[in-house]
Amino acid sequence: MENALFIALSHQSTLLRQMDVIANNIANSSTPAFKVDRMLFIEELVTTDDGQELTFVKDAGIARDTTEGGFTNTGNDLDLAIHGGAYFVVDTPLGMRYTQNGRFSLDANSQLVTSQGDLVLAESGGPIVIPPDALGVEIAPDGTVSTEDGEVGRLNVVRFDDDQALEKAGNSLYAAEIPSLPAPGAVIVQGMVEESNVEPIIEITTMLHVLRAYEAAQRIIDTEEDLATQTMDTLTTA
Amino acid sequence: MRALSIAATGMLAQQLNVEVISNNIANMNTTAFKRQRAEFQDLLYQDARTAGSTSSDAGTIVPSGIQLGLGVRTAAVYRMSGQGNLISTENTLDLAIQGKGYFQVELPSGETAYSRAGSFQMSPTGEIVTADGYTVLPGITIPNDAAEITVNASGEVLVTLSGQVTPQNVGQIELASFANQVGLQAMGNNLFLETAASGTATTGVPGQVGFGTVLQAFLETSNVDVVIEITNLIRAQRAYEMNSKVIETADQMLQTASQLR
Repeated sequence: MENALFIALSHQSTLLRQMDVIANNIANSSTPAFKVDRMLFIEELVTTDDGQELTFVKDAGIARDTTEGGFTNTGNDLDLAIHGGAYFVVDTPLGMRYTQNGRFSLDANSQLVTSQGDLVLAESGGPIVIPPDALGVEIAPDGTVSTEDGEVGRLNVVRFDDDQALEKAGNSLYAAEIPSLPAPGAVIVQGMVEESNVEPIIEITTMLHVLRAYEAAQRIIDTEEDLATQTMDTLTTA
Repeated sequence: MRALSIAATGMLAQQLNVEVISNNIANMNTTAFKRQRAEFQDLLYQDARTAGSTSSDAGTIVPSGIQLGLGVRTAAVYRMSGQGNLISTENTLDLAIQGKGYFQVELPSGETAYSRAGSFQMSPTGEIVTADGYTVLPGITIPNDAAEITVNASGEVLVTLSGQVTPQNVGQIELASFANQVGLQAMGNNLFLETAASGTATTGVPGQVGFGTVLQAFLETSNVDVVIEITNLIRAQRAYEMNSKVIETADQMLQTASQLR
């Protein structure tokens, strides 16, 4: 009898989590190279003792929409957009991390770093050092970094067999437990930044949908409550 | 419910974004002002269901977990060091740097500050000073009877005294450059201070490798591009509105929940 109530509740608790995911997508609409998260729902089939089949809602996981965001021209030499589903390699205190947010700068030692100050690695495994007296930096589509005096290094660009296996680690970084592969097809565009791939219309409509679904589930719970009250009344007054 | 606080981080971020944009627009006509840009990053994630955990006795692996993000944070407000335009002013002591480098200015405290705003003046004693009266290092004094002052591309200050034909050299303007000029700390009044992030200053003569040249009777304008600023402003406003919409919706969901009998 109370199953309807619990099924509605299972729906509501997943909707609350979905709302959190949407809020995070919208909050990050200005974060470069941010990828939208989508909640995956499955039905959880439960057979009761009397053979009744019930389906609860369950959030099975989050799938990341890895579509490339739009590229915006910034005119900054150290802004790099990466095309082709590849990642830059960043050396953080917690180990190797991967990023598509190519808003880099130089540190006090003229090394290429992220806005956290973590080193962006070259293919050689070391940092990219731009001599302080260089007049300009040229970054070729294949990741070769050069100044007017010649090549200073080549950016390490990698890809993964399964992008979904990467975990978001905050600060635009991803952590990976699967091995990275070389990405010969990647194209690096200098002076551009990849925007987030958040589509405001989709997010807002999904949000409204979540709100209405939540209210609908609420009405089921209310109705269940009414039924129970009526039953009690009928039984006690009889 | 996290959605409320997540949307709040989004609104705070956009508010800061608008503040940075308004400062850029306000300084549109400030000599040698470098526009700034707020940089955002996603906050940390909470694992509600870890990817890679097993979902059955048979060892089925969960292909993707549930990672709930907690919003957005501002990583940095980054100064774009691109060169501003050079405009002719016909004022002898207006100097612009074409390329890399900063003028060195001595603060009243004795510290050295760095500036690209070369709208210099003369002090009562004939010294070249900034608009605030701070000495431009290494301290160049123009003689009282100078008829003409010339500053050449390599920063040499040449003075023609009245009644004489050959100009004489009264000093050399030196420039400072940094490994990471974005790391300089802005102290207002067009001045910057050295920090651990900028690296120590390397001084040199204009025109030397790694230093720009000096252009007399020109000033560097700000590098603010109004079109970019206005488009960014529109985007920030829309993003702000969307985040407030999230708060509204989350509030409605909470209201529904609180109406439970």
